[in-house]
Amino acid sequence: MVPSAATPSLSLPPAQFASLQPHAYLLAHLSPPALSNQPSIRANGRSPSQFRATSANAGSLTHANGSAVVRLGDTAAVCGVRAEILHTDDIASWSVSSSTGAGNKRRKLSGEDPEDPEESQIQDLNLLVPNLSLSTGCAPGFIPGAPPSALAQSLSHQLLTLLHTSRLVRTDDLRIWYDVPDLEGAGQETGEAMDVDVVDKESSLKQPRKREIKAFWVLYIDVMIVSLAGNVLDAAWAAVLAALRDTKLPRAWWDVDAESVLCSNRVDEARSLLLRGLPVCSSFCVFEADAAAGWRAVVLPTSIEMEQNKQQQRWILADPDGYEEGLTQERMCIVLDKDQSGNPVIVRMEKNGGWTVGKEDLRQLVDVSAQRWEEMKTVLKW
Amino acid sequence: MNPPDNGVASFQPVHRPDGSATYTCPLTGFNVLGAVNAPIELPARRDALKPEEATLEVFVKPATSSPAVGERYVEGILRNLLGAIILGREKGFPRRGVVLTLAVLEGGDSKATGRGSSYLTLLPALLHTALLALLSASVPMSMYFTTTIIAVTPSGEIICKPSIKDADEAASVHVLAFSSKGHLLLTESEGSFDFDTWEKVHDRALTICHLPEEASAGNGKVEYAVGSTWQKWLAESVEDYIGFKYAYEFA
Repeated sequence: MVPSAATPSLSLPPAQFASLQPHAYLLAHLSPPALSNQPSIRANGRSPSQFRATSANAGSLTHANGSAVVRLGDTAAVCGVRAEILHTDDIASWSVSSSTGAGNKRRKLSGEDPEDPEESQIQDLNLLVPNLSLSTGCAPGFIPGAPPSALAQSLSHQLLTLLHTSRLVRTDDLRIWYDVPDLEGAGQETGEAMDVDVVDKESSLKQPRKREIKAFWVLYIDVMIVSLAGNVLDAAWAAVLAALRDTKLPRAWWDVDAESVLCSNRVDEARSLLLRGLPVCSSFCVFEADAAAGWRAVVLPTSIEMEQNKQQQRWILADPDGYEEGLTQERMCIVLDKDQSGNPVIVRMEKNGGWTVGKEDLRQLVDVSAQRWEEMKTVLKW
Repeated sequence: MNPPDNGVASFQPVHRPDGSATYTCPLTGFNVLGAVNAPIELPARRDALKPEEATLEVFVKPATSSPAVGERYVEGILRNLLGAIILGREKGFPRRGVVLTLAVLEGGDSKATGRGSSYLTLLPALLHTALLALLSASVPMSMYFTTTIIAVTPSGEIICKPSIKDADEAASVHVLAFSSKGHLLLTESEGSFDFDTWEKVHDRALTICHLPEEASAGNGKVEYAVGSTWQKWLAESVEDYIGFKYAYEFA
């Protein structure tokens, strides 16, 4: 029955209710009246642990070495990887660090590939340079001409530390070698750069040819958020993963005559990066039924009391959109990979901004993240 | 007066701000100075201020370089954690600002604040300094917190008092903060670990940070458990300071 014009209706259309009373609106969706037999569902139609539809498209940019567009619902991230050459001559500390071979070995993983003793070169020489920009107009608050916001800066830092701690890129893929020719047969008079005085025959047979690092590839990883509707980190990290997987480096070598690094222009000689694993990032937020969650002059229940009475109504929402992010304070972020036997390995776990989530909740979130890993594996076609 | 293994705190080392504190972390050797001004007017961006509560601003100044993206990130962590416990709607606070400035005076290894390096080793020192400075400025808070850093070696051994070198060589590093009521307020973990390891780390950190319930449940008078937890150390530091500051009252 449509209300007639004579009797003005007191009800509001949902969109108005949502913007006037955002907290009550989301709460009404999550806790429907017991009689109505409706499931508890979020305002965006998802169940609490459901992620948004994700799509990834690799190789979208033609002039980058690798690129990808990832969409996570209405959040869209474009990532481009550009490789540039860093000569060892341009590294101030190179002669010192290469002669001593001092590289502290970080984050050793047991039972993996033979450890590269110079693995920390990626971090020491800053061979990976991610940057994230929240472009003008990606969300209403972003005006043109403004400096990078604190959010964009901290996300750039998070991408960089994630690349370092997950050890995604192998240093060996980024090295450009020079195979020092064996000049023994050619005669001693041309042995110009050979510091090794006399190489006797047996050791030259046993020893592989002398190699020298002449340059590194530096990967500039630029992420641009085209549309921002919550959960930037998941989208940005997925874009970085997809773009790095798409990255192809041309074959490069040191040319003695030209005294520079030359690159082959043949496509079939270019090689992809060998990435270590697939660390997938999943974010969550906590929505509290108490509208005054940020205002607690009252004495708070202790952690033990909270466990005893589960009256504290709160929902853990996976992959929050922009509307939900505005209503929540407490955030969780889990970056998880799986080893060969399928056991989850946590690369990073963060929880901040509140006190309602404890140990057991985090255990469940790790399980949810493990499921999300399977989803992302198919999305990224890993 | 402070147990040497729980760090050295001093209140009001500088006099112009509303509250200030220095703190030296015994584990990592970081020495941090914190200053708080609250509540103050933030005239520059009145329209950006939230009408119903105080705006919290955190600035971190590293020891040897100028602030960069890593500092923005750690400022975000501090803002989220402190924003959850500061009572920004108390009288006099809405539409005003709580400005917290933390300066790393000396400490550890300069590598720990290099570009793209992990901030976890510095985080406990920053958090404790922030709390002491807020207490010194009498900013109302719903509860306080204590925090600790724990490293797990590649062989699975848990190191409760890791040095910076230990943290560098560890398989995973964890920073946890617990409220004075035993809630898990913050966890920042990095490295490579499984959930069971984290659970062990959590339980260990809880015993380091938090007093057992029965020990603190005296009637009005806090009785301390045996051993020195961070919570006990914090209570004693504040008690000393108040005893000193209000000596004329008690005399």
